[in-house]
Amino acid sequence: MWKRLLLIRGAELLMFAVLLALPLAVQNNYLLGLLTLLSIYGILLIGLDVTVGYLGQVNLAQAAFLGIGAYTAGLFVTKLGAGFLVSALAATAVATALGALLALPALRLEGPQFALATLSFTALNVTVLNEMEWLTGGAQGLSLSRPPLFGMSLSARGFYWLCMALFALVWLAMRNLLASQWGRAFEALRDSPIATDAMGVGTYRHKVAGFALGSALGGLAGALYAFNFQYLQPQAFVYELTVILLLGVVLGGRKSLWGAFVGATLVALLPNLLSNRTLFEFMSGAGFLFALFAAIRGLLRKTMRPFQAIAPVVATGVLVVGGLLVSNTEDWRKAIFALMLFSVVVGLPEGLMGFAAKFLSRLFRIPDPPPPAPSQLDGVLPPRRAMSGGPLLEIRDLKRHFGGVRALDGLSTTVREGHIHGLIGPNGSGKSTLVNVVSGLYTPSAGEVLLRGQPLPRGSLFETARTGVARTFQNLQLFTGMTALENIMVAMRGNYRRSRNLPLVLLGLGRTEEKQAQADALALLEFVGLGADWRTPAKDLTYGAQRFLEIARAVACKPAVLILDEPAAGLSHPDMRRQMEIIGRVHERGMTILLIEHHMDVVSELCNVVTVLDGGKVIAEGTPGEVKRHPKVIEAYLGEVEAGEAAAETPAPVPAT
Amino acid sequence: MTLSIIAQMTVSGSLMGLVYALIAYGFQLTYATSKSVNFGQGELVMVSAFVSLTLITLGLPYWLVVLGGLFFGALLGLFVERAGVRLALEQRSEGWILLTIILGLLFFSVAENVWGRDDRPFPTPISQQPIHILAVDVTPVELSVAVGVFAIMGAIEIFKRQTLLGKAFDAVSADRDAGELMGISATQTVKLSYALSGVVAAVAGILVSPITTVGPTMASALVLKAFSVAVVAGLESGFGVVVVGMFLGALESIASFYLGSGWREAPGLVLLILALAIRPTGVFGKTLIRKV
Repeated sequence: MWKRLLLIRGAELLMFAVLLALPLAVQNNYLLGLLTLLSIYGILLIGLDVTVGYLGQVNLAQAAFLGIGAYTAGLFVTKLGAGFLVSALAATAVATALGALLALPALRLEGPQFALATLSFTALNVTVLNEMEWLTGGAQGLSLSRPPLFGMSLSARGFYWLCMALFALVWLAMRNLLASQWGRAFEALRDSPIATDAMGVGTYRHKVAGFALGSALGGLAGALYAFNFQYLQPQAFVYELTVILLLGVVLGGRKSLWGAFVGATLVALLPNLLSNRTLFEFMSGAGFLFALFAAIRGLLRKTMRPFQAIAPVVATGVLVVGGLLVSNTEDWRKAIFALMLFSVVVGLPEGLMGFAAKFLSRLFRIPDPPPPAPSQLDGVLPPRRAMSGGPLLEIRDLKRHFGGVRALDGLSTTVREGHIHGLIGPNGSGKSTLVNVVSGLYTPSAGEVLLRGQPLPRGSLFETARTGVARTFQNLQLFTGMTALENIMVAMRGNYRRSRNLPLVLLGLGRTEEKQAQADALALLEFVGLGADWRTPAKDLTYGAQRFLEIARAVACKPAVLILDEPAAGLSHPDMRRQMEIIGRVHERGMTILLIEHHMDVVSELCNVVTVLDGGKVIAEGTPGEVKRHPKVIEAYLGEVEAGEAAAETPAPVPAT
Repeated sequence: MTLSIIAQMTVSGSLMGLVYALIAYGFQLTYATSKSVNFGQGELVMVSAFVSLTLITLGLPYWLVVLGGLFFGALLGLFVERAGVRLALEQRSEGWILLTIILGLLFFSVAENVWGRDDRPFPTPISQQPIHILAVDVTPVELSVAVGVFAIMGAIEIFKRQTLLGKAFDAVSADRDAGELMGISATQTVKLSYALSGVVAAVAGILVSPITTVGPTMASALVLKAFSVAVVAGLESGFGVVVVGMFLGALESIASFYLGSGWREAPGLVLLILALAIRPTGVFGKTLIRKV
């Protein structure tokens, strides 16, 4: 435990100490300029990593936010005579606001469309900066002088220390944020946006918040950029810069503060790399040898696809040969970026730091963190209260049409408090549509659903989950990249006030609650028998364990109604028994459950009431025994046969164990 | 007077808009089969134009130049697919966005160093003399854009509808896995779509070069507007890109007349962001039903 902390925190401390002390040791203006640029790009890239790394979206607008921040700060200084603090704050605020404004429409899109939208924003930004000459000076540029801080004018060294201190603060704040519920929400929504909504966490709002945060850091970096160069031009914030920034993030390593640091170093050093011939030849040669070594190793051990192994060798090889042939490397700047980036994206998708982190943790044998002590289960999932048995979830004349298909055709039923309410029906009878409408994934065409007499929100998974309906998914929707424990922690949002409050989180004041959340989540994992697998990524769990985890995660939302969508689908017999036992124990704790299931024996054993659907309508309702003898049910399942005969053929339910 | 100016602007703008539509159509072709688009498509347009220009200076007849340009476009498309897209698709990641941007950057740099940074005129046998039709002046070169765009789009649509290979193309677009189960190679279909997309880019380059001249940056503005057109129209409808492309072209030519030429790009970008806010799947796109 201590070794781990010491190594990780020690490395951070050492790095910042060295960076801060460097100007004292070496009196060199050129180096000072580079270091200042490094801290500015560091802030900028940490911001970019929020969207690119954590939200998993290709964001091509970061250069625009740098420009917006720079121009805002520049205009505050030149037109309003504002000081350092005011103009830096204004730059951050304007970038945040514009970031949120862009994110609101753009983040409804995924993948390529989002990238296109951000790319267009960058282009629009350059157009506006160029054309609003009366304000920005247009292509002529905008000159400013570095404003004083609290009345003191800053020397180059003072300014550097300030930038580096801000970089360290941003680093700390970001680390706190990423270790909190916010960071988990970011990772969760990338793995499964639908499940993130269904756990009441809110995909869209977290995306917008994440993007706005990244833009805010872009704005802050922009202000520092303006004070550093003291001259701004729209041409500095074009598409090409965006690509270079992406290069920094990807090359350094996504989802990593160290990665942003390495990337920033690289971006700051790039011009030197190109103008210094020897350095360039050395770097490209080293890159080529590294790629060659990795390719031979990867091919021999069969851990890499041939293309993935060979393409970086070819690209770095072209770099080496080209470096010898070409007379002026500056002219080929873009091609050099392109080849470098290509090799990294293909060969080292996790970036330099992703690669180094694995290597270093093996080298220093950094131990895994120990498990937290689980909480008492009664504190997390209170034991059964008195159950009224009154109506809890009322479905009234619900309709949902897809074109001409009437998937739900005027369906009404009532789920009573404390019951396990079964929902069965042949394929295509509308079970899944019903679950999707009730849980808010689909908007009903007509009719309503009431929870405790109050109508449920229509067509919003997120709002419905917040109101108290949690669900599992027939096709698993786990947060595959996160551990079992984190999967549960994502869903436990409501209990921890502090870990939701952004300023407190950034200051690192959510830690005690974080420990509590871990302990509570572990109690729930043990409840479904997965205590030992707490650190296993969800994608590496067995299929059965994944199904159990889905239930535990939905229970962690503490819903009023828990909807289980075919929880036994595809399970082996022993796993199915275990699943039934888990559902039984969840029910014993007083949970009202709506259970959709194919297996008749599961339904007969667990349910108090069963509703049978066919053709989007209720055809029978009653106890499992009553329903099984109902002629319409027999007809729906077996076709038109003599009622008595069919009932006799229905297999006897598996006896309870 | 003003009316005739607006009419003139509308006609020449919407003819230019057809070029945006054609490039956007290239995005649709690859999006259909692989849900990916080439972010370096503009560089394909530009490099194909440069190659055609080189063929012209070599003294080849115009029809051979066009054929050569198209062939080269197809090769570039295939290169992008192999180097930038296939691996990412195999890994089901969105790395292709980055990789196609990177390849675009590479092409740009190569073009800049091989052919130089200056804009060069693109000789064409088609006349530049304006013809007066109904109070509007149109040059045959502009008309050739319209003819070329509709010809290539029509040819590809007929290919998709009438040939077995085209049916395979549609099948993989509709459901990649089901297509594979029917014995259609999705990889080959994606290759085909990138080759076609390269051809389309080359056509766009050859058609637009006589109007805009040829230079490394000739396509950066074009492709940006093509992106807007593709997103506003939606990535499914070929008819949609033509309508939106012509509308956008007319809009920006009117905007640059009244607001100044610097604002030329603005309407497209604003239109794009507005469309995203109101209809994220595109004006002509289908609304998706989320399945779980």
